[in-house]
Amino acid sequence: MRTAATAVMLVVVMLVCSLVGSEQISLKTAMAGIHGSGSPNPDYEILVHIRVPRVILAAIVGAALAAAGTALQALLRNPLADPYILGISSGAGLGATLAIIGGFSWTLWGRSPVAVFAFAGALGTVWLVWVVGRVTGKFHVTGLLLAGVVVNAFFSAIIMFLISIAKGQQLHATMFWLMGNMAEEDFLVLWIGAGCVAAGVISLYFLAPQLNAISFDPADARSMGIHVEKVQLVAFTISAFVTAVAVSLSGLVGFVGLVVPHGVRLVLGPDHRQLVPISSICGAMFLVVADTAARVIVAPAQLPVGVVTAIIGGPFFLILLVRYNRKVSWLR
Amino acid sequence: MRKWWILLVAFTAWIGLGCIWLQPRYVEAVSERQPSDTPERIVSMAPNLTEILFALGLDEKIVGVTQDSDYPPAAAQKHTVGTFWQPNIEAVIALKPDLIVTLIFEQQRNLTERLTRMGYKCLALDISTVDDLFTAIPAVGAATGRSQQAEQVLGGMRARMAAIREAVTGKNRVRVLWVVQRDPLRVAGRNTFINELIELAGGENAVGSTLHVYPPVGGEQIIASAPQVIIEPAMIGGDLPAQRVKAVSYWGKYTTVPAVANGRLYVIDGDLVSRLGPRLGEGIEAIAKCLRPEAFGE
Amino acid sequence: MTVSVEVQNIRFAYHRGQPVLEDISFAVPAGKFLAIVGPNGAGKSTLINLIAGSLVCQSGIVSVDGIDIRSCQPRELARKIAIVRQGSVPVFGFSVAEAVLMARTTHYGPLGFESEIDRQCVAEALEMTATTGFASRPLASLSGGERQRVFIARALAQDTPILLMDEPTTFLDLRHQVAIFDLLKTIQIDKARTIIAITQDINLAAQYCDQALLLRPLRPPPLPAESTGTCRDRGHYRIGPACEVLAAAHIQEVFGVSGFSGRIGKESFFIPLGRLAKDAVRDANSIAQRTDRALNRHKQ
Repeated sequence: MRTAATAVMLVVVMLVCSLVGSEQISLKTAMAGIHGSGSPNPDYEILVHIRVPRVILAAIVGAALAAAGTALQALLRNPLADPYILGISSGAGLGATLAIIGGFSWTLWGRSPVAVFAFAGALGTVWLVWVVGRVTGKFHVTGLLLAGVVVNAFFSAIIMFLISIAKGQQLHATMFWLMGNMAEEDFLVLWIGAGCVAAGVISLYFLAPQLNAISFDPADARSMGIHVEKVQLVAFTISAFVTAVAVSLSGLVGFVGLVVPHGVRLVLGPDHRQLVPISSICGAMFLVVADTAARVIVAPAQLPVGVVTAIIGGPFFLILLVRYNRKVSWLR
Repeated sequence: MRKWWILLVAFTAWIGLGCIWLQPRYVEAVSERQPSDTPERIVSMAPNLTEILFALGLDEKIVGVTQDSDYPPAAAQKHTVGTFWQPNIEAVIALKPDLIVTLIFEQQRNLTERLTRMGYKCLALDISTVDDLFTAIPAVGAATGRSQQAEQVLGGMRARMAAIREAVTGKNRVRVLWVVQRDPLRVAGRNTFINELIELAGGENAVGSTLHVYPPVGGEQIIASAPQVIIEPAMIGGDLPAQRVKAVSYWGKYTTVPAVANGRLYVIDGDLVSRLGPRLGEGIEAIAKCLRPEAFGE
Repeated sequence: MTVSVEVQNIRFAYHRGQPVLEDISFAVPAGKFLAIVGPNGAGKSTLINLIAGSLVCQSGIVSVDGIDIRSCQPRELARKIAIVRQGSVPVFGFSVAEAVLMARTTHYGPLGFESEIDRQCVAEALEMTATTGFASRPLASLSGGERQRVFIARALAQDTPILLMDEPTTFLDLRHQVAIFDLLKTIQIDKARTIIAITQDINLAAQYCDQALLLRPLRPPPLPAESTGTCRDRGHYRIGPACEVLAAAHIQEVFGVSGFSGRIGKESFFIPLGRLAKDAVRDANSIAQRTDRALNRHKQ
């Protein structure tokens, strides 16, 4: 099955990328360190404590964003939708900016407040957009999109203002967060994050046949027996939740949620039963590679991942468009 | 419906297992590293920290600095571990340090946490005001076994600052506009350490207290604040005279401003005044020279 | 005779506007073919959507197999009713086979995979509508008429006892128009389905359908009610056996066109004739006469 093959590819890519980095490490030396010899073993430490968590984090965030992007493109019936379209980016950004500039130093179970605030900001904004969008009448897609645009604009303005009054280091920290970066996290956070994202992806997979019908035509979907409003609500909530998790872990990494579902759809077709799992795996792979490039290109400095995703993603997508003409009907 | 229940149960079990198994336990490595009083391999994560370490005479023991640590010149020869804004944790670990000196701010906080959890000894300092600097230098001295040298350095700094204070007490404070950026125009507000330097040099910030730390200002505010001296720190260590020429042509249009009318436009070395480090005294002196050239033999 | 679809006193208006349908009641017996005919804006699509459950009437009851549809879940209703609307090109490039397969969504297994039965239904449906050749082509690459047949195939794949169709023969060429009606009739008889179709093709409706509903728009206000024979006229609508409802006089009155009707064998037909067409015929005749006379004079 294609999904299994791509999953294997993902594992391979992750392993390879763990070994690549700004410092040369050798696998042998690192493996020796597993048994904890006396002398400090930087190779082992770098591999296990720095690289592997980072690669896992990139995979989690990539999978989350790609899956959410797929679902939102189906729900909004717009191939140009991405997970941030409904205000999540500015909401999370506002939360993070408030946390950084407010200088909160308390931690939630040892987690930095930025992640928590970003998560809360993301979910809060989605709820706000949902409420505002509903004023235009039941799940009306245009209403939601407009509400998202308005909320985005408003929160972005607040973020700009906060940035302008920030002190130097806070300013830089905020900008970095907004550009997306992978900071290493401890394994518990990764475990929980992976669990949330996996649950989200599997749920979306369960909804895939309904997403197929809804992305075709919601009115027809209803007459084919699908409870359209319920599916839309559930899928929307799952996408928002999964995106919020991703954003709170790594800041705003753009491009993944837009390009990866697109690309996979171009190659494999719009059947969401395939699209959901494979685009999440591809999203994971893409972000792992992008993060590795971000670490390596200007070593020992690092580029923000968001920059690399855009630089890699753009041309790659163009190549896909040109070579795979299978499903380009909507390009007209 | 069943599949949803199964998913829910599996998810809860996953989270539960995770919470039980994976409590952060990075204890193993700690015992292997003996925190000693005289670390032999030190990594500095900020340019001003590098200057402090060099001032304490620790040059051979420094194994890694950030890319932007350019003073003293010997620092440029050391291995780099990323930049001040983006430290590279892998490079730090590869150098096998036994002391890492960092500043407290978001990016480096993460670094410090991770390294501490892996058992490395980290010294995190908060240097945002002049007072902080006077606490930090002894702290570094204590951590590296160079408390004596630390006192000497502090002594030297205090002496220089006292000399400057003497030269400026009793005199009217000179109104200074400190221009951080020209396009768009931003100045240093009262809530910065630059303001402290200005006051120590006998000056007064022409801009009143603002919400912004580095407020953007418009033409009318400049004219209203009527500064007697305009100082622009040159960030790119380049040709200071050439930059001054550019500054003069830029400010030429503000003919009503006293600083422009009297030709009191100065471009000074940015590093000297943007880092809170052992060269603080020199920095304040540089500013004081701009404010009262006659008093400092210009 | 079991009643398949029953509509009682329904009244519907869009968004607190003027009512589009007022006090309509009729029953369609199981296994019959009902044609809904009427001018544009009479409320035909509205009526079909009400029966399918996509719209909810302000008052009155729509029941299917004796059960009020308001108490049905979408899933249950989808097992009973399939509807073909005016289809549009979807945003994403689904292929014909994928589109038709969607009708079987409620029958999928727990992991979302279709079963052999589903695939068979789809294959049959494609064959019945002569679209098997398109199966792997993207929908957007088909012509309007071919797409229409695909949507009909999708409704067929849903395998429901009741089929609703909103102008299924728009865009179709003559051959396929007849083919679709043949197909519907075959399904009706072989598989005992109930079919309700909106159509603008009066003659085909008269040929194929058992019953007809002739719907008048509510504005201008309808003429007073009357009853002639087995055909009930409620002013707003007229229901009864097709041959009677679709009589020339009724058509002319409701659509406001004149024409001539006739009968060939058992089939009756109605051909509308526009004003200009008649004048043109007359003028053409008179031009021909004058030309003849001029020529004759010339010859003399």
